[in-house]
Amino acid sequence: MIEIQGLNKSFGGQDVLKGLDLTIRTGETLVIIGRSGCGKSVLLKHILGILEPEKGRILIDGVDISALTLRDLDQLRSKIGMLFQGAALFDSLTVEQNVGFALYEHTQLSRSEVLKRVREKLWMVGLEDIENLMPASLSGGMKKRVGLARAICNDPKIILYDEPTTGLDPINADVINDLILRMQNRLNVTSIVVTHDMTSAYKVANRIAMLYDGKIIGLGTPDQIRHTTSPVIQQFITGSALGPITDAQRLKHDQNG
Amino acid sequence: MGDLNGFQEKLGAQYSMVRSWVSLRRWLATLGHYWITFCYQAGGISYLFIDTLIAIRKTSIRWGETVSQVYKIGVTSFMLVFFTSIFTGMVLALQAAYQLRLFAAEQFTAHLVSLSVTRELGPVLTAMVVAGRVGASIAAELGTMKVTEQIDALKSMGVNPVRYLVVPRFLAAVLALFILAIYADVVGCLGGYMIAVFKLGISPHLYIKRTLQILMIKDVMTGLIKALFFGGVIATVGCYYGFNAEGGAEGVGKATTMAVVTALIMIIASDAFFTAIFYFF
Repeated sequence: MIEIQGLNKSFGGQDVLKGLDLTIRTGETLVIIGRSGCGKSVLLKHILGILEPEKGRILIDGVDISALTLRDLDQLRSKIGMLFQGAALFDSLTVEQNVGFALYEHTQLSRSEVLKRVREKLWMVGLEDIENLMPASLSGGMKKRVGLARAICNDPKIILYDEPTTGLDPINADVINDLILRMQNRLNVTSIVVTHDMTSAYKVANRIAMLYDGKIIGLGTPDQIRHTTSPVIQQFITGSALGPITDAQRLKHDQNG
Repeated sequence: MGDLNGFQEKLGAQYSMVRSWVSLRRWLATLGHYWITFCYQAGGISYLFIDTLIAIRKTSIRWGETVSQVYKIGVTSFMLVFFTSIFTGMVLALQAAYQLRLFAAEQFTAHLVSLSVTRELGPVLTAMVVAGRVGASIAAELGTMKVTEQIDALKSMGVNPVRYLVVPRFLAAVLALFILAIYADVVGCLGGYMIAVFKLGISPHLYIKRTLQILMIKDVMTGLIKALFFGGVIATVGCYYGFNAEGGAEGVGKATTMAVVTALIMIIASDAFFTAIFYFF
């Protein structure tokens, strides 16, 4: 279980997270929705321990990650896989070296054993015979799938997805959604998906949380979110240009002159 | 009427006083901002330098990557250093001969060229051309990795970016600068030799004899110690600005420029510091 308690973070004097509270149950897929720049990716980086909270704490299976030493944090990170927004594949390494990166760095496995594991994970994400290619020669959808293979190569217990379908065509986006569901069914991992793609959110989520103004303002099953009475959530999920979100933004803009 | 004029003059004087005060405050604020930025960056570079030394001592070094970086930093800079050094040696010989001719002492050209090249110009000019070429490339490479989240990906897989990225570049730059400085010393002296022998008519035997006579181990070593430090500076500054790049292509470009400018300033400043130390001790 992941518990986020009173998380605060600001950048350059601007508050991004303002006392965020959220609990993610073991084995569930929680989708966090919200506008671009509202702090969704910042939240994921806090869970990974890449960013440190200014206030509040994050407990993973009861362990406060900000109290961990660097070595313990690295050990914890080996249980977490992350798919980055742009896949974040290492340009100078082949697909095989990218996918097997954590194994090469942290285990004593031989190259043939790593290669076997890499091929297995690539097969799981629907890719074959691309081990020797460089990331530059892959399409956007393939990069995301290789990124996902890298995220699951270490058999993590938690997978974090940062905007997994952004920048992909609808078919490739659905392929990624299917992969997320397959990971969930096959590996029974806890997943946190950050997105503003509502089609994807409804398809993969057990629960959906809406992040707005640095806090979680709504949490429920896809059906509960779809039929919510909250005008803020309604404006977001229907993608309307008029409503409380844009009104508040306009007011803020006017106040700042 | 007179009272009104007096009041207006007084008001005008007060207004211009307030304006000067406001511009002074603005100027002080800008100065303060630059000073804080300078301290922040100097602190960040020093912190990374110490962190790198700790990582070299405490973690396993990626020797394969280090050798590959030595090739990138050192071997590919050989031609650039050759041209810089040979022409510098030639210019030095000509300038020295121009002055020494007044005292009919052209045969001492070898002394001036060899000492200037080994103590000062060999390591400093080498460091400056390498800073422009390699410092920029390190900052651009790591900056691109930063803005495309590759450095976050490293951290997410429990890999320390300083050990993985900085240490190989740091060791390679230190080693490459050391070798390049020796190479620059030899090529610089060769440039001086060519002018002295083919233009000034000094005997080749005499030129070589005087060069070997005047050069002491201390002279060569002072230059090489500087080169070692300059190598560390170029790698650390390049990595620091790469790690702190923000905001896409523009941020990477800015980081690259800052890396080169800062490395050049640090090379010249530390050169003055080392020269002063070697002068007194």
